[in-house]
Amino acid sequence: MKTRLPVLIGTISGGIMVVAFFGRGAMVDAVADEALVWQTIVGGFALLLGVVSITRVHLGKIRTRHPDRFYSIVLLICLTIMSGAGVFFGTGGGGWFDWLFTNIQAPMMSTMFSMLAFFIASAAYRAFRARSLPSLILLLAAVLVMLGRIPYGQMIYDNLPTWANWIMMIPNVAVQRGILIGAALGAASMALRILLGIERTYLGG
Amino acid sequence: MSTTPTSFWQRLQAVDRRILYTIIFVSVIIPTLWPLHLPTRVTQETQAFYDAVENIPNGSRIMFAFDFWPSTLAETEPLAVAALRHCFEKDLRLVALSNVGMGGPSIADRLLRDIGAEYGKVYGEDYVNLGYKANYQAVLLGMATNIAEIFPTDHYGTRVGEIPVMQNVTGYDSLAFILLICDNAMMDYWVSLVNARYGVPMVAGVTAVMAPKALSFVQAGQLQGLLGGMKGGAEYEDLIGHPAKASRGMDSQSLIHLAIIGFIIMGNVGHFALRRQRQRRSGNLPAGGR
Repeated sequence: MKTRLPVLIGTISGGIMVVAFFGRGAMVDAVADEALVWQTIVGGFALLLGVVSITRVHLGKIRTRHPDRFYSIVLLICLTIMSGAGVFFGTGGGGWFDWLFTNIQAPMMSTMFSMLAFFIASAAYRAFRARSLPSLILLLAAVLVMLGRIPYGQMIYDNLPTWANWIMMIPNVAVQRGILIGAALGAASMALRILLGIERTYLGG
Repeated sequence: MSTTPTSFWQRLQAVDRRILYTIIFVSVIIPTLWPLHLPTRVTQETQAFYDAVENIPNGSRIMFAFDFWPSTLAETEPLAVAALRHCFEKDLRLVALSNVGMGGPSIADRLLRDIGAEYGKVYGEDYVNLGYKANYQAVLLGMATNIAEIFPTDHYGTRVGEIPVMQNVTGYDSLAFILLICDNAMMDYWVSLVNARYGVPMVAGVTAVMAPKALSFVQAGQLQGLLGGMKGGAEYEDLIGHPAKASRGMDSQSLIHLAIIGFIIMGNVGHFALRRQRQRRSGNLPAGGR
């Protein structure tokens, strides 16, 4: 029962969406709309579950005096302050939550992401070596696109942006399509496995 | 085991990362303080984005999705700001939302308020921020027939039925267009769930790393136009006649690209010189000996 009921719910919910995707009709649409509203509600509860889970994990680390417990304390304090500000003072513009987000969280996240520029530069210098023919082709394509995407490329040679655009629109798009089609086929087969109850790892085993 | 580089070619391959970081830092700072005003050539996909927005009849109602995280603000905010300016100039009425729970609605709120104020737009009459709802796939599909069922209230808790811009709105058929600013896989869901199924025309502004993938949607006609990263933003700012953050950012990005190309050339020169030295040395040895 512990696994059968969730599998049954998954099969029925997924089945409704499949029928709604391919079929049309007032009843099909009404059932699908209702299922989608339910899904957004369940999604909200999943978020709450995430908060409970992260709190439990970090409380556990503090209780067992884990070496990284100070990071857990910082995380729990931040979690309490941000959620408290949102719940008690609202998330609208000009409020506490908005102030904390704009002045602390957003700059910190942007800073972390900006570090990538430094790491990418260093990694490109150390790893981008023309050791074989494929790596030489990759290197030339990368340099052409990097130059073609900036104004200096056009200053060096007027047709460089056209070449860069050709690389982006022809070989790149062809490869991207292959990846997209492969991923879509994989997702479709996984969805089918879940619908038929073959795939049960999402139930935790 | 690491060895201390001795020859010039070895040193060329083992430049201290602090020196590289300093060069990158200077490449960012110089154009920020003293803009270079480099010219930009408008690409086909940016022109298509501009034309798609330009061709919407003035006063139409469109959906504007702020699907990006605070971490990519440096790249995505200029795209969103330029798109908002273009939309407000055309008096388009915006139904905004975000599928990024952490920060998305707050970013949307700030940008709509700031840019809306520049054009004298009023919240509720000219634009609305619906905020965020969990489970994005269900949200995108659910909005097809009834947006109010998925978003019964806006970001501030006002019932959508009481908001003038939401009057007579049912689903996607009440919208002329969808404009996405994305830094994640949400673009795939908008294309595959909303465009493919309901045929709603859409354009997207994405980060530079996402542009190669997004181009396949543009080529297939699923996206009518695309702004690819800072470059796309700079081109778009040029087209709407309002150079701003993306144009300045493009100056820094240009210098960084040059610096990285320089690093790659430097590393490869050292690599090939050393390889040649090794080949020469091994050629002098007796046959079979290395």
